[in-house]
Amino acid sequence: MNTTSNLPAILASRRRFLGQAGAMGILALGAQAPGFWARAAQGAVNRDGRILVLLQLAGGNDGLNTVIPHTRDEYYRLRPSLAVPKGAALKLNDELSLNPQLVGLKELHDQGLLSIIQGVGYPAPNRSHFRSMDIWHSAVPTKEHTRDGWLGRAMDAAANSLVGQVPALALETGPLPLALVAGRTSVPTIQGVQDYRLSGGAGDALEQQRKRSLIGSLANHRGTGANDADDDLAFLRRTATTAIATAKRIEASASHKPTKPYPATGLGRRLETIARFIAADVGPQVYFVSLDGFDTHSDQAQAHNALLTELGGATRAFFRDLEASGLAKRVLLATFSEFGRRVKENGSLGTDHGAASQMFLMSGGIAPTIHGSHPSLTDLDEGDLKHHTDFRQVYATLLEQWLGWPSEPALLGRFKQLKLG
Amino acid sequence: MTAPQGMLAPVDWRVRPWTAADARHLLWRAQFGASGAEIDRALKAGAAASVERLLHPTPSREFEETSTLLRRCAMDTGSALDLKAWWLHRMHHSSHPLVEKLTLFWHNHFATSITKVRSAAVMAAQNDLCRREALGSFPALLHGMSKDAAMVAWLDGNANRRRHANENFARELLELFALGEGHYTEKDIKEAARAFTGWHVRDDKFWFNRGQHDEGIKTLFGKSGNLDGGDVVNLCLAQPACPRFLAKKLLTAFVLPRPSEAAVAALAERVRELDFTMSRVMSELFSSELFFSREARGSLIKSPVDLVLGALRALDGEPNLQAVQRLLALLGQDVFAPPTVKGWEGGRLWVTSASLLQRANFAAALVGSNQCGTIRFLKSPRLRLDASSAQLTKDLAELLLPQPLDPEQENQLAQHHAATKGTPEDRLRSLLHVMMALPEFQQM
Repeated sequence: MNTTSNLPAILASRRRFLGQAGAMGILALGAQAPGFWARAAQGAVNRDGRILVLLQLAGGNDGLNTVIPHTRDEYYRLRPSLAVPKGAALKLNDELSLNPQLVGLKELHDQGLLSIIQGVGYPAPNRSHFRSMDIWHSAVPTKEHTRDGWLGRAMDAAANSLVGQVPALALETGPLPLALVAGRTSVPTIQGVQDYRLSGGAGDALEQQRKRSLIGSLANHRGTGANDADDDLAFLRRTATTAIATAKRIEASASHKPTKPYPATGLGRRLETIARFIAADVGPQVYFVSLDGFDTHSDQAQAHNALLTELGGATRAFFRDLEASGLAKRVLLATFSEFGRRVKENGSLGTDHGAASQMFLMSGGIAPTIHGSHPSLTDLDEGDLKHHTDFRQVYATLLEQWLGWPSEPALLGRFKQLKLG
Repeated sequence: MTAPQGMLAPVDWRVRPWTAADARHLLWRAQFGASGAEIDRALKAGAAASVERLLHPTPSREFEETSTLLRRCAMDTGSALDLKAWWLHRMHHSSHPLVEKLTLFWHNHFATSITKVRSAAVMAAQNDLCRREALGSFPALLHGMSKDAAMVAWLDGNANRRRHANENFARELLELFALGEGHYTEKDIKEAARAFTGWHVRDDKFWFNRGQHDEGIKTLFGKSGNLDGGDVVNLCLAQPACPRFLAKKLLTAFVLPRPSEAAVAALAERVRELDFTMSRVMSELFSSELFFSREARGSLIKSPVDLVLGALRALDGEPNLQAVQRLLALLGQDVFAPPTVKGWEGGRLWVTSASLLQRANFAAALVGSNQCGTIRFLKSPRLRLDASSAQLTKDLAELLLPQPLDPEQENQLAQHHAATKGTPEDRLRSLLHVMMALPEFQQM
C-alpha cells in the first residue's frame, strides 16, 4: 500500500539534490558572491518540511486507564479499585473514553488533531523495562541490538543528503536515546536553548558582537577547496556557517513568545522549546522528548493522574501554539511506551508490566482516525492485552508517509503500513 | 627484513629542510597538541631525534606519583568521573604522550563502555592492557582483549555457553577488532563463537568455565579442529584482511582521512613484515613521505580530545579535569563511555552544527575564563605583546593552525586585533578566541 502524498517526495528530492550536488552544485548556484557558504546554509533549513516529534512515556504507561473501553464489563471487574467510573471518563465514541485527566487530549480530539492506534505491540513481548525499551528503540525485537536505533538507521540511509545538518535533536538530560543512535550521523542532545548559541566570550556587548560577527565572516570563506566535495575544510566552513545561522535563528526564537501559555511542567517546557525551534526554522526533522514515571506498581491513581494531566496539558498547549502560528499541519507528535500494563490490577492498588497498548498521533496534517479495535479483555496473553498492530508498522508509516524516508533500511524489513490519511 | 619503500620510505631531510610546520604536524598527530616550547625543541632536535623522543622519552617520577594518586582515588570511589579524570590527566601530563594517544586509539578500536561494565576497576584494567600494548604487540593485545574482564562483560561472554553460543564477542572480533566486514561469513561467526564458549568472568577476572566450553570440532577459514578462543585469534591474525584492516584504521587516525588503496596496501605490508609490532610501525609511519605529504597536512578533523587537550597544551594550559570531562561528553567523546561497540567513527562524524558551536564556545571559555582550565600562555616570555597586530596574528596562526590562513583572513584578524579596546592582554585574548573558533582550528 502506498498512500504517500507527493510532498515528502518533493522534499526528498530537494534533499537528494543538495546532498548529491554537494559543494559542486552549490558552486554552480553562484559562487563568487561574498557570504559564500551562507547560501549553502539556506538550503539546510527544513523550512517547509514535515516534523516528527517522538514522545516517550517511560516506565510503561497503563494504556487501559488511558483510553478506556467503557462498554466492557471485564474492565470494571478486573480493575475494582483502579477503573475510571463510567460517568467520569471523557467519551470519544460509543466504545472508547479518555481518562478524565486528559482534558487536553479530549480538546485535541474534538478539534480533529488526535489519532489513536490501538493494540500496538510486538511478538513475544518482553516485560523488562530495559529490554522492551531497547526493542522499541532499536526496532529489533528478536535479539539484543544496541548498536543503533530505528531513526538512526533512517538517518544513516539518508546520510549523504543530511551532511552538515542537524537531522534530529533530543531534548534530554541523559545520553542520546538509542532510537537516535546512528552509525554515520551524530545527533545532539540539548537541554535547552542556552546550549545552542555562539558565545561572544569576554568583553562588553559590543566586543562580543564584534567577535561573533568576525567568526561568522571568517567561517563564511570560500577558500580553495570549495569545489571539492571531499574537502573537509569546505565541509567545516559550510557546517559552521549553517550553525551560526541556525544559532541566530534559535536566538531569534528566544524572543518568539508562545502564542498560548504552556503549563509550568517539565514536558510543557520541553514542548515549548520544540515549538519555538520549529517556528524559528532551526532545522531538525525529528525531535525526541520523554516523560518519565509511568512505572506505577503501587498506588497508581495519584501518580498516573498527575502524569496524564502533564501529558494532556503540555500537548494541548503545544498544538494550540502550533495552530496559532500556522504550523500544526507540519508537525506530527507520536507517543510510545515500552509496554502497557497487566489488565488485572495488583494487590497494591497498582498494575504490573504488561504488553500491548495504544499510541497517540497528534497532528494537524493527517486525518484523525482511530486505528484498529481495542484488544480483547478476555483473550489475553499471560494476563496482558494482545497486539494486533506491530509497532514497526507504525514506524514504517511515519517514515514513509510522514517524513518521506525509506523505511526498509530503518526497520531492516518491510512492514505493512497504516493509512495516515 | 626489508625497508619501507615508496610513499612509506622515510623523508630525506637533507633534500628539504625540517621546519617548525613539520615539527608541529608531527607533534599534533603523535600527542594531544603541542606547545610553542615543544615545537621549538623538536625543530632543534630534528626529525629523527623527535620521533625517537616520542617513542622513548625520559620518564617523569613526579607525573607517575600524581597519576598513581588519581588512580587510587578513582579506585576508592569507584566513580566513572574520577576514572575519566585519571586518564585525562595522563593524556595531558604524561611524559610519554604517544602511549596515551595510542591507548585512546585502542580504546576506540576495542570500544567498551563503563555504562554496561559498571566497574571503574575493571575498566581501568582494560585501559592498562591498551596502554601496555599501545606501542607493543597487536597480537598480544587481541589475545588480551579476548580474556579481558571488561570486554567479556561488555559483549556478554558469560552468556556464551556450550550448546547456547552467544555470538556477540565472536561477531565483533571478526567485524570490528580484526578483519572488518566482508572478510568472514555468518558461519565463521557461529564457529568462532563456539570456540569462545566458557570464556567467562568471575569475580571481575577471566575464568575458563570448562563445563561450558564446547570441545567439539569447529571449522574456521578452512581450518578444522577442537579450536578454542586463542586459536580463533591466531587464525584471524593470519588472515590477509587483518593487517589491511589495522593499516586502514591507523592511516585514518594518524595520517589522512581518505587513504588511497595503495597507501593501505603499503602499510598493511609493513604491518605484516614488522609482525604487528606497533613501535616499529608507528616509527616508520611518523618518518614517512606519506605522513609529511601535502595531502596529509591539516587533513584530520580533530576529535574532541585532540581539540580540548590540544588547545590547552598549545596555550601552556592546566586543564580543569572535571570540566574537561564534562565538555568532552558534550562534544561527543565521553572517554570510557563510547556510544557503541563500534566506537567513535570520527572524521566528519564529530561535526554537527551543534558540536561546532560548542567547539567555538569552548574557545571562548578557554581564553575568557578559568572554566576549562588555566592558561599560562598569556604570561609566556615567548609572546611579543608589543609586536604589530599583523605580526602577532602571524605568530599565533603559526602556533595554532595546521595550515597558513589566506592573506585576506589574516588581514581581517589583524584588523580585529588592532581595533580591539583594552589592555594588550585583553586584545590578545580576543584574537585567540576568534582564531580558535575558526573551522581551520578544527583540523590538525
